[in-house]
Amino acid sequence: MKRLCVTLATLLAATAASAGCGGSDGPAGGGPRTGGALTLAQTSNPDFLDPAKGYTVEASAAHWLIYPGLLTYRHEEGAEGSKLIPAAAEDLPEVSRDGRTHTFRLRKGLTYADGTPARAADFERAIQRALTLQWGGLAFFSVIEGVDEYVKRGKPGADIRGITSDDRTGEIVIELTAPDGRLGNILAFPAAGLVPADTPLEDLSRRPPPGLGAYRFGAIEPNRRYELVRNPHFALPGIPKGNADRITVKLMKSSQRQVQDVIRGRLDWILDEPPADLLSEVRTRYGDRYEENTANSTYFQFFNVETAPFDDARVRAAVNYALDKRALVRIFGGLLEPDCNFLPPGMVGYERIDPCPYGDPAQPPDVERARGLIRAAGSEGAPVTVWGTDEERSQRVTEYYTDVLNEIGLRAKPRIVGAETYYAAIGNVETRPQTGFLAWFQDFPHPANFFFLVAGESVQDVDSVNPGRVSDPDVNRRYEALKREPAEQNAAEWAALDRLVIAPEKALVAAYGHTKDTTFVSERMNLEDCTVYHPVYRDDWSQFCLK
Amino acid sequence: MATELIDRAPAGPGGLPGEEAAGVLLAPAAPRSALRRLAGSRSALGAAALLALLVLAALAAPLWADHVAGTTPYANHITDRVEVGGKARDVVSPDGVPIGPTWRGRFFLGADVNGRDIMVRLLYGGRNSLMIGVAAALLTALLAVATALVAGYFRGWVDGVLARGLDVIWAYPVILLGVALGTAFAVGGVRLGPVELAGDSKAIPVLVIAVVYVPYMARPLRGTVLALREREFVAAARAQGAGAVRVMWSEILPNLLPGIVVLLPLMVANAILLEAALSYLGAGVRPPEPSWGTMIDDGVARIVTAEHLAIAPGLMLVLTVAALNVLGDRVRDALDPHAGAGT
Amino acid sequence: MLSFLVRRLAAMVLVLFAISVLTFSIFNVIPNGEPENRMAGRTQTPAQVEAIRREWGFDRGMVVQYATTMRKVFTGDLISYYNGSRVGEEILRGLPRTFSLAVGAALLWMALAVALGLYSAVRSGRLSGWLTGALAVIGISMPVFWVGALMNHYLGFEAGLFPNGGYVPLTEDPLAWAHHLILPWTALSILFIGVYSRVLRSSVMDTMSEDYVRTARAKGLSEGRVLVRHVLRNSLIPIVSLWGLDFGAVLGGGAILTETVFDLQGVGQYAAESIDQLDVPPVLAVTMLGAFFIVVLNTVVDVLYAVLDPRIRIGRL
Repeated sequence: MKRLCVTLATLLAATAASAGCGGSDGPAGGGPRTGGALTLAQTSNPDFLDPAKGYTVEASAAHWLIYPGLLTYRHEEGAEGSKLIPAAAEDLPEVSRDGRTHTFRLRKGLTYADGTPARAADFERAIQRALTLQWGGLAFFSVIEGVDEYVKRGKPGADIRGITSDDRTGEIVIELTAPDGRLGNILAFPAAGLVPADTPLEDLSRRPPPGLGAYRFGAIEPNRRYELVRNPHFALPGIPKGNADRITVKLMKSSQRQVQDVIRGRLDWILDEPPADLLSEVRTRYGDRYEENTANSTYFQFFNVETAPFDDARVRAAVNYALDKRALVRIFGGLLEPDCNFLPPGMVGYERIDPCPYGDPAQPPDVERARGLIRAAGSEGAPVTVWGTDEERSQRVTEYYTDVLNEIGLRAKPRIVGAETYYAAIGNVETRPQTGFLAWFQDFPHPANFFFLVAGESVQDVDSVNPGRVSDPDVNRRYEALKREPAEQNAAEWAALDRLVIAPEKALVAAYGHTKDTTFVSERMNLEDCTVYHPVYRDDWSQFCLK
Repeated sequence: MATELIDRAPAGPGGLPGEEAAGVLLAPAAPRSALRRLAGSRSALGAAALLALLVLAALAAPLWADHVAGTTPYANHITDRVEVGGKARDVVSPDGVPIGPTWRGRFFLGADVNGRDIMVRLLYGGRNSLMIGVAAALLTALLAVATALVAGYFRGWVDGVLARGLDVIWAYPVILLGVALGTAFAVGGVRLGPVELAGDSKAIPVLVIAVVYVPYMARPLRGTVLALREREFVAAARAQGAGAVRVMWSEILPNLLPGIVVLLPLMVANAILLEAALSYLGAGVRPPEPSWGTMIDDGVARIVTAEHLAIAPGLMLVLTVAALNVLGDRVRDALDPHAGAGT
Repeated sequence: MLSFLVRRLAAMVLVLFAISVLTFSIFNVIPNGEPENRMAGRTQTPAQVEAIRREWGFDRGMVVQYATTMRKVFTGDLISYYNGSRVGEEILRGLPRTFSLAVGAALLWMALAVALGLYSAVRSGRLSGWLTGALAVIGISMPVFWVGALMNHYLGFEAGLFPNGGYVPLTEDPLAWAHHLILPWTALSILFIGVYSRVLRSSVMDTMSEDYVRTARAKGLSEGRVLVRHVLRNSLIPIVSLWGLDFGAVLGGGAILTETVFDLQGVGQYAAESIDQLDVPPVLAVTMLGAFFIVVLNTVVDVLYAVLDPRIRIGRL
């Protein structure tokens, strides 16, 4: 129902009508209302307001609306929202037969928020900026020919061999090092969003460059607040042009006060979930303006498959049998969707693994069976150091998990370190972490962005995202073949890989669920018609509206 | 600096700044009469009794855990249910809210988010807090006395170097230094010659606290040593050919002891407070070890739905530190009847 | 006097230098704490890490890195590793908050400590005197973040009498400014009231037994006048000097706990958060600032002391 309304609203908005799905015109009848100013809040700063540097979710929610690239995602919920549509490009690319050459054509007559006309050469500039400014997801651009070379040479503004453009025809040709099904997703990153070709190669977080999106940055007070205002030059079809005239985003460290301010109507929306302490009150007393949506994330314990005792699949399976997902749900304050899948429910290729080989997540675990497996593997009393960060969830999970390992016959001790060193520590081969906490939030909605965490290609000696050094021949073979193609073509194959990774005979990870994002809005916001939970960028600010 | 933690009393009578005032450390009274005076003070006896009780409780932690609560400080009971007033209740609700005090053997003071028994953790946490407090205070005393003796005895450039070193720590904002060291050591551990401390060792907060507080004790002691060095009995010992170590050990040190004894209870109190502060900022005792500081830290985050989590460890801490402070005051009064008037 | 000041100044610079070296070293020996790793993001390539090292100068020697960083401290060009924000700007933003906290709390604790200390000295030996003494002991025995959190919760969140944390600039709304600061001022003051009142009490009691006080009494001056004119004036010296030092410490980011509990986002909280993020530039800058305040006020207090009390000879630092 809601989906339908929103879709309709989007179409109507594109044709400059303000009638909502409620049918009536005025604000009283519900339906998206345009105009007005909203105030949002988030607990942490966006890391950078320059699209070529911003990498966190705090930054990308705004950048998504301001800096569309050649392609972007549909502004829809669920699987629809994972689909790519042309934004600055006229159409989806023509792909050469070998899958390595992708040809785009820039839409004609586009102008940036400051009035500068868009040119085909602007695309290469965006990529150059992301590379020179060390954008956090820079490694993804390596699929483009010449990118690695550009990074290595370290010469700002040098030509990137794999990108050629023709300002006259608007043609942009991208050469890949190998066919890659993720290219569309990579080009949809706001870091690849078009900016004028004369934009300097430096961090412009104080005065971000103009983009082609429905909004542009207004006033900015670094580390305090920033504003999104309408872009008068916006002209991209298929993308909502935004309901609110002005969106102010404030930084507010105390999430308790954020919730209070939403209740009192001083804030319209908050990015972060209400603190665990207030969650049940929000759920019960303000249920009519509160929603939960499962994020494209996965929470799991990694196993180092190269060191004892987790080099034995029986031990890894034992842990899976012993984990009580009901306990984990409580640790998350209910903000966990427990299941056995490694892939999150919102992802292409997700098929709920039911029955779960390790038992129903809503039932008590089979600790006896786990003990038996540990005995069978001869690992009783094996010393285990469990790694975790000192952030709330991770610390709780790590302490719980350590207790579980001890319960099934291992001799476990937690090792909890600050988040700032955690990933470098466990990603370093010399640390030899045996097992520990990991959570992954997608960079883009492609199953490869999850399975690469357990693929041989990501085993590195330092800064590895695969600290368990998992490299299973069966998994690697399937993964390598599947990642070359867009996800939709192989949904069933990805689902099979999902089952393989968690199957008791492999048990490469102990996956226990997916976190839920919360939406909590003020009384004056129209939750019913105007909140679209996007699978990549979460609540779509451009569709927020007042009652 | 006092910042929020340190009671400046240790810096000398009246808390005079710098070392100018330090030479006037205590004139030792006869130990026996001092003890009698101490025993005659009701508040001193009360404080000592309270401390003894707290120490006993901490020592009895395993007894309570085994025989009354039937659990350990680390065991999670998230999905267990507990009988309260004939009704079975969740230890942790599906929303993640832990149970409050049951006033029965199991979960006497309620549970934390991990479904662990707060009473049991409180007792074990007391062990850690007291141990760290005492160990840190002793280590501070050791380092301070050594520094003061060497600096005060040799004077000249040795003194200059050591005194500057103390100035540096003194001028470093206390909590900043504590948190910085605590954070750094927690990640990498410490290597001190042959001794290697892992990042989660309890010796790390001890070391950090001890180092941070050295100047507060060493500066006044150094002043005393400087003064003592000029006294006749030291000169006499040296004239008889006693070596430096000998003079320091058998002539000067005994005269420093009363001052150290006075400072110790206050140092322990301050060390316990600093441990709590470091834990609150995530740089103290490493989980899953409980300490009153880490428990307060956990509790403050849940104060809306489970206020017992913050109140229980806080009260224990306040009681302990207050008892130590009272005892420290009385010890000072007893050793130096002129320093202040107490009851 | 002049040579004394010059020597103090030289010592000050030396101490600040040592503190900067110490801070810099603490964060540079942390294993896996290399900033380039954190800056490169979740999925990184060796080439990318290498490029960051080059760009930020992490590939150069420690001494060069230290020198560059220190130069930036003084030119105000220091940039956070964590999010590229300008450290100087952040500190300037935090200072009015820290200043508001420090000034208000210092006045509050001084006033209350004098009242409490005098009262308990005069009432010494009676129940009321004992009670105020006990109150002072409890005051110095409570962790500030615990009291602060309880106040914030019960008086702020539950009762709604005060805002539960946060800060409003004085220039924006003086009433709201004070309203937001009442709890932090109180929380921060409790400890100092305890300390100062105890110090004052014992020095008042010492002074009262001095000959000149007895003489004044014998001359028939009223008890109140004796107390104020003769006793208090002399007893205040140690307190005022303490006050200077503690004020310096709080200004220099020493009120980390209070600022954090009440989310005031002053300089201290900034430092605490930066330590958590292993973000060396802000930690270095705030530490230097804090040490500077402490050292300067130490010197000021010592000089004042010498002026006020000629018995103390000015010696070496």
